[in-house]
Amino acid sequence: MDLFQINNLIWMLPLICVFAFLSIGLFSKFLPSEGAIISIFSIGFAFILFIFVLIDFISGDLAAIHSSFTWIDLGEWTISWGLLIDRISIVMIGLITFVAFLVQIYSVGYMKGDSRFGWYFAVHSLFASAMMLLVLSDNLLLLYFAWELVGLGSYLLIGFWYEKTSAAEAAKKAFVTTRIGDVGLLIGIIILFKATGTFHISSIIHAAQEGGISNEVIFWSSFLIFLGAMGKSAQFPLHVWLPDAMEGPTPVSALIHAATMVAAGIYLVGRMFPLFELGPGILVIISIVGIVTFILAGAIALVMTDIKRVLAYSTISHLGLMMLSLGSFGVPAAFFHLVLHGFSKALLFLGAGSVMHGMHDQTEVELMGGLRKKMPITSLTFLVGSLSLAGIVPLSGFFSKDEILISIWEYNSWFLPITLFGVFLSSLYMIRLYCLIFLSTARSEYAEKAHESPRTMTYPLIILSILALFSGLLAFPFPFTGWEGFAAFIDDHHKFHMIPWLTVVSILVAFSGAFLGWVIYGSRRIVINNISSPLKFLYRLVFRKFLFDEIYSWIANKIVFTFSRWITIFDRVIVNDTGIDGVGNSTKKSADILKYFQSGYLYNYSLVMVVGLFLMAIAWWLVE
Amino acid sequence: MTIIHFQFLSAILFSLGLYGVLARRSAVLILMSIELMLNAVNINLIGFVAFRGFGQEIQTFGQVLIIFVITIAAAELALAIAIILRIYRNKNSVNVDEMNILKG
Repeated sequence: MDLFQINNLIWMLPLICVFAFLSIGLFSKFLPSEGAIISIFSIGFAFILFIFVLIDFISGDLAAIHSSFTWIDLGEWTISWGLLIDRISIVMIGLITFVAFLVQIYSVGYMKGDSRFGWYFAVHSLFASAMMLLVLSDNLLLLYFAWELVGLGSYLLIGFWYEKTSAAEAAKKAFVTTRIGDVGLLIGIIILFKATGTFHISSIIHAAQEGGISNEVIFWSSFLIFLGAMGKSAQFPLHVWLPDAMEGPTPVSALIHAATMVAAGIYLVGRMFPLFELGPGILVIISIVGIVTFILAGAIALVMTDIKRVLAYSTISHLGLMMLSLGSFGVPAAFFHLVLHGFSKALLFLGAGSVMHGMHDQTEVELMGGLRKKMPITSLTFLVGSLSLAGIVPLSGFFSKDEILISIWEYNSWFLPITLFGVFLSSLYMIRLYCLIFLSTARSEYAEKAHESPRTMTYPLIILSILALFSGLLAFPFPFTGWEGFAAFIDDHHKFHMIPWLTVVSILVAFSGAFLGWVIYGSRRIVINNISSPLKFLYRLVFRKFLFDEIYSWIANKIVFTFSRWITIFDRVIVNDTGIDGVGNSTKKSADILKYFQSGYLYNYSLVMVVGLFLMAIAWWLVE
Repeated sequence: MTIIHFQFLSAILFSLGLYGVLARRSAVLILMSIELMLNAVNINLIGFVAFRGFGQEIQTFGQVLIIFVITIAAAELALAIAIILRIYRNKNSVNVDEMNILKG
């Protein structure tokens, strides 16, 4: 076996970051800069490796690169661990390694002076490697394994400042909420394994397409798998953990929102899409969940006043859009949006981190304002990110949104008007956020004293903003290069095409949203209270996030805890008092009686020995 | 002299030894009683070797075996005496009833 063959080399992608995790986790105190340098180098190395693999992949006519070994061999069936590079996973690997690399460089500046500086980078590496393993794995078992590792990474990073109660609570909330979905995923995987006898994704899909799985099994397994995706990708109604995940350090949010964690759900649905396609009614469920998430989260983002929460709800909203796209057969469009949204959202979060860095960790937009002069680079790059996410025309976000709208029009045309409303909302809240932070004048002394961030923080911003500006061009086919547009790269059947009137409508909607945002929050020609006061009830409902947290805590307190209390009684009385304590107590009581035989005098013991020997001799004599 | 005499002597010696082990409090006396029991066993063995009509080779082997046992018993006795001496240094007594610090 040649180690340097490309299909063996791809194991290096996750392993190099695991190496970084282990070495920093164990020896952080003895390493220069507490090991941050190792972490950055390893993720940078993974990115370079990605480029090599990409070159190899393209020169091999986009044939899948596969490498696997047998883990368990039980005769009838075997379980193997394998990595697979195909068109979807190569895109994901590029996104993950690139964003994680930039975020780590940025973190050097952001996390400077933190007491657990090294540990931060160690967990960062673990998180990135788990996500790479997830997108590379060729079977559902390894995927589930990586899926849980991603959950662990997010738990550790969200709760990184666990001294704060809110951070610890948020980490717990993220873990428990995604766990609800994970249980579904696990059951779905088991159902599929039972139906087909294999964990291999391609074999399962093949079996399903051949008609080897009944429709009911396909429906339930894909529904349960979708439940897992809903948890990880923060879809309604399991979206509640993502806004709270803001308790972690801001670069972590950038990573979670752009490249890892939430991308996992979209990736999973995209990967299993041929199965979902066959399940009756599944795509409708996905579309409905997607559009509800898209609109609700967009509305909440419009009224939040915490910079990170606005971005968090905007992420949820865009994830909903991606789900909607998946539900409308737009797999390439969804992945395109995932990548471009990833760049923009990483840019926005890193920009928000930069703002917070200059503002002494204030996140309330009411305290900001007028930062444009004080933080020119942050302001400019944040504007690029906002416009890109708002879908303003030459920026990247526009192109992916357009592709999604096309697939919705072609397969799910009923949803189009609502989707356009969501597009309007998203451009409105992005412009609102930009105006509140950077325009007008400073509204607090923090904002007056704000300063630009160091270079390790601004350079990643600049790189990401260049990508947010131009990566949308990937949608177009380039003549003479063989590149036929991103959609065709993901799936040969999707040829690049446009629907002119739809594009015009989308441009108009995005511009009108942006314009309205600018009129209200930028130039302040319309006073916001005039609009919101007649809709006071609606405003309060949205501001309290449609009461999701309240409903969930009511369910948890009243129903789950009451049930748990009854279970506790069973545990106390039956399991503990009779089972465990019962065994212990009976041993103790018998020992209380038997202890009188232990006099501690030598002659007692030897007498017992002699008598015993004598009795044995008699017994032997009788038997003989 | 028949085997009965040897067995009789052996039984008496063994019983005396057993009585000593059970009745005495002094560690030194208990040790001496154990030696008595050991030698009773030796006498028993040599009696069997001598009077059961074995050939010359087996008889020689039996006697050599006894010498080995005595030698090893001497070494073991030295060890036991050393332990008792240590105990005496620590507690100023060799009374086994006072040696109860391992009792829970």
